[in-house]
Amino acid sequence: MVLNGGTDVVIQLRDRLINPEYVVDIKRIPGLDELRFSKEEGLHIGACVNMNRLGGDENVRTYYPFLANAALSVGSKQVRNRATCAGNLINASPLADTSTPLLCLEAVLEVEGPDGKREIPINEFFVFVRKTTLQKDEIVTGIRVPYYEGAEGIFTKVSRRNKVDLSTVCSTVMKYAGQYRAAFGSVAPTPRRLPKTEACLNEGPLDDARIDRAVELALSEVSPIDDVRASKQYRLDVVAMALRRGLESLG
Amino acid sequence: MKYHVHFYVNGDAYDLDVPANKTMLDVLRDDLFLTGTKEGCGAGECGACTVIVDDVPLNACLVLAPELDGVHITTVEGLSDGPKLSPLQQSFIKHGALQCGFCTPGFLMSATALLNENPHPTREEIIDSISGNLCRCTGYKRIVEAIEEIAARGQTAETQE
Repeated sequence: MVLNGGTDVVIQLRDRLINPEYVVDIKRIPGLDELRFSKEEGLHIGACVNMNRLGGDENVRTYYPFLANAALSVGSKQVRNRATCAGNLINASPLADTSTPLLCLEAVLEVEGPDGKREIPINEFFVFVRKTTLQKDEIVTGIRVPYYEGAEGIFTKVSRRNKVDLSTVCSTVMKYAGQYRAAFGSVAPTPRRLPKTEACLNEGPLDDARIDRAVELALSEVSPIDDVRASKQYRLDVVAMALRRGLESLG
Repeated sequence: MKYHVHFYVNGDAYDLDVPANKTMLDVLRDDLFLTGTKEGCGAGECGACTVIVDDVPLNACLVLAPELDGVHITTVEGLSDGPKLSPLQQSFIKHGALQCGFCTPGFLMSATALLNENPHPTREEIIDSISGNLCRCTGYKRIVEAIEEIAARGQTAETQE
């Protein structure tokens, strides 16, 4: 078992949900804590970059503000000083807060294992609840996020309390070069993009009828469940609200 | 299997052999007898175990003992100078910002970390920085007021020599 920020792993160890023979801490491997940005190469988020550092970084706040907001919506200040963006993805919770901005941004996970390096596009990473295409002997070394000139996005997190809570629904709606992208978390076994909704939005000018049609499609593309945090119906209502408000504010 | 760790708590150096399945919180409480740091939820939600590690607040319950190697920790015991309490601790008493007291060390450490980084935080920044600490007795109003008094004075939260 790989230990990074440990905010999920240590709890799973404590609760005996996992019983690994070894726990390997990767935090002191040189280079894994790199966070760098250029317009040519985009953003590189090293595996060990924590959420406070990501969300507070000037380049991230300037060029990917909705990713910064998502990072700073995770847990508490104490948790964000430990929790990493890479860990948030690898944990593969359906409600991972940084997953929806990174899905819209079409981030790529940089992976290394005994057979060398490979890359996994984020839309091929999540398989099911807590299951990813990462192999047991591989680690994620970083996340590469392309730069989109002039892109705008809205991150929405609805939770039972304002701070230090898991998302009941989280989402990102992004607009780039006149085209829309939308991703939702906690409404399916994995966080996911909504391709039919996006196709509808990108067919023609955004008017009320198109927004209504897109909301209808979005509700057909998600499959939320009733759980301790909310009912299925509540989640469907939040999907409609978050998409509508996101589109209205992006225009 | 045990791991040798060299670390500092409140300025004192420690060399210990720690098992991998203990947390930083267990080591502080059970091995160093620094019981000011409390265990509430043990899952990073309540903030009762907040300590300052290399200048930032962390939940000691979420750090494994072998990770102690090389770190500098401040616990609530490190805020006072003998019987002389830090200005922030005195302000908590003045404002009645505690009732049962179980959450207090965590709040003090979160607020101390904030004031060390930013001596004049706004009310919003104060609330944000203690949002990872739960109090089940008094509510948060008096805690915020106690921190605000120190923020207004711009005095660092730790004891002045």
